[in-house]
Amino acid sequence: MIEHAKHSVPASVFVSAFKRCGIDFITTVPDMLQIALHQALEDPVHGIRTINCTTEDQAIETAAGLYAGGRNAAVLVQNQGFYAGINSVRALGLDSGVPLFFIIGQFGREFANLGADPLQSKRRMVRMLEPLLDTLEIPYWRLEGPADSANIERAWHASRERKGPAALLVGHFIGF
Amino acid sequence: MMMTLDVCKVLADVREDAVVVCTMGAMNAFDKLPANPLTVACVPLMGGAASIGLGLALARTERKVFVVDGDASLLMELGGLVAVAQAAPANFFHFLVNNGIQFAGLGNLATPGHANVDFPALARAAGYRACYQFKTIEEFQAAIATILAGAAPAFIELVVGYDQPALGVANPAVEMTDARFTRMGDEIREIRAQLGVVEVFP
Repeated sequence: MIEHAKHSVPASVFVSAFKRCGIDFITTVPDMLQIALHQALEDPVHGIRTINCTTEDQAIETAAGLYAGGRNAAVLVQNQGFYAGINSVRALGLDSGVPLFFIIGQFGREFANLGADPLQSKRRMVRMLEPLLDTLEIPYWRLEGPADSANIERAWHASRERKGPAALLVGHFIGF
Repeated sequence: MMMTLDVCKVLADVREDAVVVCTMGAMNAFDKLPANPLTVACVPLMGGAASIGLGLALARTERKVFVVDGDASLLMELGGLVAVAQAAPANFFHFLVNNGIQFAGLGNLATPGHANVDFPALARAAGYRACYQFKTIEEFQAAIATILAGAAPAFIELVVGYDQPALGVANPAVEMTDARFTRMGDEIREIRAQLGVVEVFP
């Protein structure tokens, strides 16, 4: 029996962190692990507008345009979506020095790997993410449970301070 | 036949305080016109202009955003038409400079579907609020003020010609400059400065 609460961070924790960071836009191709967060953000009371895109490239580019206009965006995608958007990450985050705050769900992670090292996942989809980020020289923080909640803001601030991409890796379904 | 430079001259004349996101041939044309600090070239990032423009339009609703796209570039992220229409920025003007080829003036390779894709119909079906097509600079000049005063997001296809290819036996290669890889970031930072964005981490 999986004790989900042990590995999940509630959506409300994300929303509160977003507000403290001044995040006013989400750009996204929605992620299965982040459904609770996507649903929470639909509530207009939070004042955070979601822009749904048809590809992760667009989510990254729209976030960069928002940055150019002086707004603060988080890019919510899943691991395979991040893989699909690498050229936009390269162009805008790395070559152009645009701060990009990624929240990347570890889609496909087997429950047997929860609480263990994602690098030991039997799924290539999961275990290739961190080595890829290392290759791209993108700093990242794991979110493996409630004790890691402060990593949401750490990753956000890192993206701003380094003027480039930084990522939060969501290891399990966000809690409702 | 009108050329990309003709189109960009018209846009430069009417832009006022609009932010311009240009790419591909339009970038080369704007580079031949007087510099404007509210212009950003989407390069090298084929396909990204419309979405960068979308973000700018959502961030700065008080001013117009012109996206000056290319046909092959738009095709690369065609779903972006839907994302723009869904977000529905009323200050977003999407100009498509359609010459039907890629590497215009360099290699002149046919764009997929160049002979039969109906771009305004695609934009209309996606949900753009106004769609136009122009084949002469005179018609475009006569209509631009009305377009900019009308409904948006708007999509304006401009059918243009192209120069002969420069690459060949006598000129077999061109080198990319370093600036080609750094200008987009520099121009984004300049736009932020022009818009008065306060840098938290200068």
